Amino acid sequence: MAGLIQEENSSSITSPPVHFFHMMSLSPGLGSPYPWLRELKSEERGLYLIRLLLACANHVAACSVENANISLEHISHLASPEGDAMQRIAAYFTEALAHRMLKGWSGLYRALNSTKISSSSERIMAQRLFFELCPFLKLSYVITNQAIMEAMEGEKVVHIIDLFSFEPAQWINLMQLLSTRPEGPPHLIITGIHEQKEVLDQMAARLTEEAENLDIPFQFNPIVSKLENLNVGSLRVRMGEALAISSVLQLHSLLAADDDMLRRNSPSSSMNSSSTPLSRILPVNPRTLGEFLKKDFAILPSPSSDSASPSSPFSLAQSPKMGSFLNALWGLSPKLMVVTEQESDHNASSLMDRVVEALKFYAALFDCLESTVTQAHTERQKVEKMLFGEEIKNIIACEGPERKERHEKLEKWILRLELAGFGRVPLSYNGMLQAKRLLSYGYDGYNIKDENGCLFICWQDCPLFSVSAWRFRRYE
Amino acid sequence: MAAASSSSSAAMFFGVREEGQNQLQMNQEQHSLATPTSSTPPTSASQTSKKKRNLPGTPSKLQIVCFSHYSVNFFDPDAVVIALSPKTLMATNRFICEVCNKGFQREQNLQLHRRGHNLPWKLRQKTTKEVKRKVYLCPEPSCVHHDPSRALGDLTGVKKHYSRKHGEKKWKCDKCSKRYAVQSDWKAHSKTCGTREYRCDCGTLFSRRDSFITHRAFCDALAQESARHPTNVNTIGSPLYGNSNIGIGLSQVGSHLSSLQDHRPHSSASDILRLGGASRSTLPQFDHHLLPSSSISSSLRPQQPIQSSAFYIPEANQDYHDVPNKQLHGLMHLPDLQSNPTPPSAANLFNLSFFSNSNANNSAINAHSNADNENSSSSLLFSSQFTNGSVMSESLFSTSIQQESMVPPQMSATALLQKAVQLGSTTSNNNNGGAAASASLLRGFGSTSSCNPKSANHSFGGFLGENENNLQDLMNSLACGNSSIFTTFGGNNEQGTDYGGFNIKRTGFDEGHKQQQIATAGVGGSDRLTRDFLGVGEIVRSMSGGFSQRDRQQSGLDPMSSLDSEDNSAPRF
Repeated sequence: MAGLIQEENSSSITSPPVHFFHMMSLSPGLGSPYPWLRELKSEERGLYLIRLLLACANHVAACSVENANISLEHISHLASPEGDAMQRIAAYFTEALAHRMLKGWSGLYRALNSTKISSSSERIMAQRLFFELCPFLKLSYVITNQAIMEAMEGEKVVHIIDLFSFEPAQWINLMQLLSTRPEGPPHLIITGIHEQKEVLDQMAARLTEEAENLDIPFQFNPIVSKLENLNVGSLRVRMGEALAISSVLQLHSLLAADDDMLRRNSPSSSMNSSSTPLSRILPVNPRTLGEFLKKDFAILPSPSSDSASPSSPFSLAQSPKMGSFLNALWGLSPKLMVVTEQESDHNASSLMDRVVEALKFYAALFDCLESTVTQAHTERQKVEKMLFGEEIKNIIACEGPERKERHEKLEKWILRLELAGFGRVPLSYNGMLQAKRLLSYGYDGYNIKDENGCLFICWQDCPLFSVSAWRFRRYE
Repeated sequence: MAAASSSSSAAMFFGVREEGQNQLQMNQEQHSLATPTSSTPPTSASQTSKKKRNLPGTPSKLQIVCFSHYSVNFFDPDAVVIALSPKTLMATNRFICEVCNKGFQREQNLQLHRRGHNLPWKLRQKTTKEVKRKVYLCPEPSCVHHDPSRALGDLTGVKKHYSRKHGEKKWKCDKCSKRYAVQSDWKAHSKTCGTREYRCDCGTLFSRRDSFITHRAFCDALAQESARHPTNVNTIGSPLYGNSNIGIGLSQVGSHLSSLQDHRPHSSASDILRLGGASRSTLPQFDHHLLPSSSISSSLRPQQPIQSSAFYIPEANQDYHDVPNKQLHGLMHLPDLQSNPTPPSAANLFNLSFFSNSNANNSAINAHSNADNENSSSSLLFSSQFTNGSVMSESLFSTSIQQESMVPPQMSATALLQKAVQLGSTTSNNNNGGAAASASLLRGFGSTSSCNPKSANHSFGGFLGENENNLQDLMNSLACGNSSIFTTFGGNNEQGTDYGGFNIKRTGFDEGHKQQQIATAGVGGSDRLTRDFLGVGEIVRSMSGGFSQRDRQQSGLDPMSSLDSEDNSAPRF
């Protein structure tokens, strides 16, 4: 600023640009504000930020710390968690990139994060806000519920396993639908899985209350567990219960695997070394799994076949966890399983691929959040920081089992689920209508697309989430 | 009506046969349906129609598949199933009189009309043979009524079904914001809306119970949840982001501004004066509350452009403590950038700002005199540049751009990414042809976006002398309302967009250097054959290119030249 004021008083005509050069050539470490950068128009700045971000990611990918540091320095003058969409995106991406670099110095990294309070409650709140502010989760719920209604027509006992049970609204909605069934409401059992007991307690209270209001026989089984540690055997599904599984943005976390370990391991040893709690648990259903393996050849994404061929044509199921989890679910012979996933490819092994894909995906998410949330600025920021920002950080900064946000596109899920023995159930036209109706309550810019019975929830033309429905398919 | 429509569609059908060559276009679904099982005459037509395909791009008026004995309907196995394309289905007046261009919904009516012109006409008599019932398919493949077994019984029914279920909802109820695709539905709803409805606690109205229930599942939960987490609400916002008065003050200004936008140039002067007063009255607020402006201002920025213009003002305040005048100007120039500029208005505005601005400097006078001679758009541009403080001119100008490009006040991140991709691919087609022209354009661009009045002044002469047209183009493109200073430049020269902010810096170099630089850069473009995704390589290269130029002259800027060194590793995707 001092420079500018001085400039105003100076009578030199040609000097200003040169003057800027001087400012630019100042060592960036001085924290000079680069006034010209501040005065870029939003669009210029956005384009410039994209450039810098990609260049920076390149440096980070190449482990060139010096250059990355310089890039980050540059970006820091332009990015801001409170600026326009691209500025905010850039802020979160640089944070993620910096985290990744810092992880190289594990001591530094740990020291910096040593007093960090684990913010699961904050994250839950961010998820709630995301649910409230954006229609995505609601849409997913509406579509899921519609599919459940159709699949459970005439069923007397309906059991639902909710793999991420944090939002009662979905099941309140279902209860209301069930209560209007011509044949009367069924007996409803919901098994809710969440790592926080309080969340499940809230769910239970809320749902029980609603069930009483609607006079539906209801039972809630809370299971306090992380999904990856879930003992599928503990999910008691009794005879005569029609089972539906709802997974909203959860399955991808099971793809997390120690990539290095998988690569290192010889096929024979992989089973033992990668024995996670889940894979230890899985043989709970030994017959199914055993039969399954016998009957269904090497292509199945079972733990052994999987790591046996890490370079298999579909590099699909590098994760033993995923394979065994799906197999276990399959073993419960669900009548319906509805899977909502991020429609994006954030599971590439190359960092640059992930950065680019994440940039595309989160740009759209930031945009739609911004366009939908015009009033509550702080709420938007919370979602951005605690949900999107954390996801971005996870995608970019983490590797191996730590990297949970392994979003993959529907085409991969279809392959994977089909390999696990599930058959696709086309989502009905009604589900789409319900979803569109929900969107008509003041959500502009969103869209639902039907592709071969799977639905894509889109922001403008960009598909952001996929919803697909599956059922247990018996192997004959 | 039934008779009319049936005979008309028969006519349509024959019309198809006559004009089959250029009118028929069948899509795959229709093909799959076309398994004619009978030997009655119409099938031959359907077969002809199957063979003839439209050339892509030729407008097809009719798309008909007809099966005479296709057993589809349980009640009437002999019903004729008709599949119309969406376009045909929704066309209101398909039958056009070639004499007066009047359109008719039905062939019969056109024929009757033709009689009035003394043209040959042919009315179809009601045949003595029994008329086949017709059923219609919904053209939407995913729809249940796309299946012949669930075809709909009458044409209007299909039309309504199609617009309701698959069409755009153009009619919006003012009371409850519910949207309708069919006008009559909307009318019917409007009559009852508010009389017999379900009202959710959140204030939304529903005229139908089922929509209300769907809504309530979420709304109810929503209310519960937010009651449980009261922290979410704006209560945090106010202490953190300062006084809510600010918002009010800004919105006041905003409303003044928006009212000004509509004024014609001649009346605007007085309004501006009034506005100046109004803005002055709000100023103390800015002074007190906005001075630590960074957080507040950015909190405002995502809002409408008007607010963003207000946002820039406090920043200027911060720098210069010259509040009233800046403020006044910030406000004053909006209307002139908005309205269609005519020379007198530009001059008026200019005078006004000149006299009221204690800060007006010599360059302003220059600009003024120039403004009289030059075409209005340039004078406009320059008046806005010169009459304001240095920071102001930039922010103002950018504000005006935002105003013009409107709807999304700033480019969405998605759009930016797309643009980045586009730039990446267009630059790979780079040619050297436009180097000279682009040089001048760049200069123009540089000066308009330069934040320093003197640098603008410097390029002023050359700017107006050589590049009036460019400037005018620029202004036009701004006025057009597309977001496009960039497009304009992108069209002429990708360098302009590529360098973005850097151009600004270059502006002040002496002419020779500049030309040289740009020429080199342009030539450098010729080796850009790699078409990499997102243009990363491009980006990095162009960045480093731009900087290394400067590097050589300034031998500063290590950071960027280090980017240069990464040049080759960049195109990873």
